[in-house]
Amino acid sequence: MARYLVTGIAGGLSQRVSLRLLSQGHEVIGVDYRETPPLAPPLDGVRVVRASYNKTAIEDVFRHHAIDRILHLGRIGNLRESVGKRFDLNVVGSQKIMELAAKYRVQRMVVHSTFHIYGAHPSNHTPILEDEPLRSGTEFPEIADAIQLDNMASTWVWKYREVPVAVLRPTNVIGPNIHNTMSKALRMPTIPHVAGFDPMTQFVHEDDLADAIVLVAASDAPGVYNVAGPSSVPWTKAIELAGARTIPVPAMLASVLVRPLLSLPAYLVNFFKHPCVIGTHAIEREFGFKPKVPLRDAIASTVREAREARQ
Amino acid sequence: MLRLPGTVDPEVARAVDSLPIAVNEFGYDAWGFSPERAKPLLSVAKTIYDYFRPEVFGIEHLPQGRVLIVPNHAGQIAFDGIVVAMACLLKANPPCWPRAMVERFLPRQPFLFEWIKRSGAVLGDPINCRNLLQADNAILVFPEGARGSGKTWDHRYRLVDFGRGFMRLALQTDTPIVPVAVIGSEESIVSVHDSKLIAKLIRAPYFPVSPLLPVLGPLAYAPLPVKFRLHFGEPMRFTGPFDDEDSAIDAKVSVVRDRVQAMIDDGLAQRKSVFF
Repeated sequence: MARYLVTGIAGGLSQRVSLRLLSQGHEVIGVDYRETPPLAPPLDGVRVVRASYNKTAIEDVFRHHAIDRILHLGRIGNLRESVGKRFDLNVVGSQKIMELAAKYRVQRMVVHSTFHIYGAHPSNHTPILEDEPLRSGTEFPEIADAIQLDNMASTWVWKYREVPVAVLRPTNVIGPNIHNTMSKALRMPTIPHVAGFDPMTQFVHEDDLADAIVLVAASDAPGVYNVAGPSSVPWTKAIELAGARTIPVPAMLASVLVRPLLSLPAYLVNFFKHPCVIGTHAIEREFGFKPKVPLRDAIASTVREAREARQ
Repeated sequence: MLRLPGTVDPEVARAVDSLPIAVNEFGYDAWGFSPERAKPLLSVAKTIYDYFRPEVFGIEHLPQGRVLIVPNHAGQIAFDGIVVAMACLLKANPPCWPRAMVERFLPRQPFLFEWIKRSGAVLGDPINCRNLLQADNAILVFPEGARGSGKTWDHRYRLVDFGRGFMRLALQTDTPIVPVAVIGSEESIVSVHDSKLIAKLIRAPYFPVSPLLPVLGPLAYAPLPVKFRLHFGEPMRFTGPFDDEDSAIDAKVSVVRDRVQAMIDDGLAQRKSVFF
């Protein structure tokens, strides 16, 4: 039994992970910079603390509870906050958490990054592995905070040897409890695609990602690991699996039309034109992780509630 | 035989169904190749194949499993690629569908790359190529690249320099190379001049100027009904470090290039007529 600190506890993914930890008999302290609504059983076992990751209050959590393992899942997505705030929370805040982890002799740090930092690019080969350059920043400087968080966490792997750090780069996370851009897009009755482009797209279901996080957290192996579900399909096939209609949008208008429709950050438009298929051999080899949820079920569970509400 | 786009040729369907392709439950591989969705496209390709009435020699040399198929490149539009690939599909036993490696400007183009991707083509990137070879695919490469397909009439059947990439990949993945001479392709669309200016304007690697342009207009770019003859050579195997210095790789590349050139020269000597 261990005491876990889970950041981003107001979010669906952190809560899925916490459920697993509680059921394994671990203790969970959940932190978020946002207000967390009261958690219903069985999640009421989580002790919730509201604190910004970049402020001194976060250290109290470490002072008052001997934390064994940290799951830093609370990365802030691109739409929710301004770039300045994102930098403070994602970069400065994460650095603070890492320093505290070293200071209070935490045994394990798992950082939730994203495959977006590879960027979707016409020159991408397939699949993209963990040691490859992060292209997204060359075209889209607004993703700088995500790249820097990931880069910084990857250097911790070497810098803080006493705290083994693992960085996870999941592909598009979907699921009934996930409210990111991709999940919201799949829930729309009509989903646009960019005319003449239909890139191979991967997804990972929240349950698979939560399993991966718990598995990696329990181990001490350091490193950077891609995470993806079992199948890749063209974007229009994913739309079909979501049971939605689709409309083509000319590439020239994609930035103008698709962005407001799907409420996408600019760098994500390219993910509907070019491939960014990631390879997952590393996490499979190191931790024996294999996704369990078939793509069909992953998409169906993501869109079920929204579809039933429309009927 | 002319066939409406969207319909499937039964011979193509039979051949595609017998291909040993690893696809996921939805029928796609990681690069977006879909044998099912490729069938109508390959049926159109068969119409092009039939138009050139190819005679195929030595296809029995094609080994099963990983192989690099290396033909000469010419004819302004990549009909030679279509004809060689379709010959592998329709004439080889068992059928083989080589994956084509495409130029870097293609994935930026809407629709066109979408279609050829479904038929198994991938971006011509060394890592893609290595991954496909390690998964025991056949790969069609034109080491002359765009310099070859854009060559003008006065340079027909003279190979331009080969790139080194295919040789490094062959060494790295222990892949046999099958040299192919394509006879006919270099007369299918006649270009007497490569307009650098227009090529630059449309961001293409070259722009052919046909001598028939003043008479026929755009129709001057319709391929002539030349007869194709494909000569598949015996597999060539090379050993040595794949990361050797360029001069060592060049020496091996020259062996392949000389072999293709010799096969072209033989094929031209045997040929009685360009059209029959």
